[in-house]
Amino acid sequence: MQLTIEIKRYNPDEDDEPHWESYEVPAEPLDSALSLLLHVKWHIDGTLSLRKSCAHGICGSDAMQINGENKLACSVLVQDLVEEDGDTVTFAPLPSAPVIKDLIIDQSRFFEKYRDVKPWLITDGPAPEREREQSPEEHAMIEDATKCIMCGACTHACPSTWADPDYLGPAAMLKAYRYTFDSRDDGAEERLDVVDSPDGLWKCYTIFNCNEACPKDIDITRWLSALKRKAATSQATTKA
Amino acid sequence: MAQTNALNWFLHRITGTFLIFMLITHFWVQHYDHQAASVTHEVVTEKGEMPDYPEEAKAGVRARYGEDAEVTPYQVVMQRLDDPVYAVLWKGFNILFLVVALHHGFYGLNNVMTDYIRDPMGRLIARALSWTLALGLLIIGMYSVITAGW
Ligand code: HEM
Ligand code: SF4
Ligand code: FES
Repeated sequence: MQLTIEIKRYNPDEDDEPHWESYEVPAEPLDSALSLLLHVKWHIDGTLSLRKSCAHGICGSDAMQINGENKLACSVLVQDLVEEDGDTVTFAPLPSAPVIKDLIIDQSRFFEKYRDVKPWLITDGPAPEREREQSPEEHAMIEDATKCIMCGACTHACPSTWADPDYLGPAAMLKAYRYTFDSRDDGAEERLDVVDSPDGLWKCYTIFNCNEACPKDIDITRWLSALKRKAATSQATTKA
Repeated sequence: MAQTNALNWFLHRITGTFLIFMLITHFWVQHYDHQAASVTHEVVTEKGEMPDYPEEAKAGVRARYGEDAEVTPYQVVMQRLDDPVYAVLWKGFNILFLVVALHHGFYGLNNVMTDYIRDPMGRLIARALSWTLALGLLIIGMYSVITAGW
């Protein structure tokens, strides 16, 4: 089949504003959306810039807005796009992030927020001789959250991020959940200090856009709610 | 810097849940079912008769809103708040309803405001102004509820 591909292009050296450009691209139903972009880049216009690496939904590089929804280009099939929205496919960079060029956003802010929540194991005692053990039940608490590949689809799908770029966002706070609820971790207090802030947890209004966007189908809103309850109870107990 | 909103967030959930029941009760009693509102009254008071609008006023309401239209006359509301037994209960309900709705609404409003106001000073001013307004409304509301009928 033949598809019309519309891409939001922006070259900071030449353009004042981003603009849409249109391309005709041949496609098979089982092609990925990423292959449409690569066809444009390799056969039509080599100046098109995009991030991608694994092409298998592992690295998280190619989150972008496809037909208005945040998705991983490599993990979406042409047949599903055509079935839902017809034979025009639009590609834009993730919303509410500074654009470096074309589909590439500046992720520095996103990863700053990630570092803010201390996404590493914090422990009080000395390191054990062998690995730190965890029971299957303890692991089940965090397993869903450990699947995050830091693609940013969720954070840039969230109206709270759109309204306030300082909002920590679901990806960072999901990491906070992942470590805070890890049975081997002792850093709950430090991390709760970060997320229990005006630009943190309380700006999550349970809108569920993050859940819809997540390519790994992580139940993000649920885990953020658990983190809110933890922050609220730890507030109550420290005050008491 | 933990500037916690945990308690307000928690209360927002609680007040939201309360509002489901309180809004239904409020609308049913105050705005919809004239009879249900009156029955308690008739049973409890010795006055026996219910205040009502004059016939021509009711005809006007029917002409405008249809044959089945009913209104709750002002006097019915007032009598309920003057009732020897139920007045305290209704006043209690109304004050709780007021507090719950004000907290819920104004905390929600503060969330919306901090979405758009990013400057810390601006946020502080917006917060101070809105909670002052809420306090004002609380005082007016409590005054009306307490004095009505008494
Ligand atoms: C059936 C009764 C109601 C229920 C169950 C309810 C529930 C909720 C909940 C759960 C939220 C929080 C969403 C979140 O942050 O995750 C919310 C937000 C809000 N509510 Fe209510 N509510 C009710 C009635 C009202 C009423 C009567 C008002 C007005 C006085 C009101 C004003 C607001 C506002 C302004 C927000 C914030 C909206 C936002 O953050 O964008 N609600 N409500
Ligand atoms: S939670 Fe999902 S959408 Fe958000 S960064 Fe992780 S993988 Fe991407
Ligand atoms: S290219 Fe790695 S996730 Fe899509």
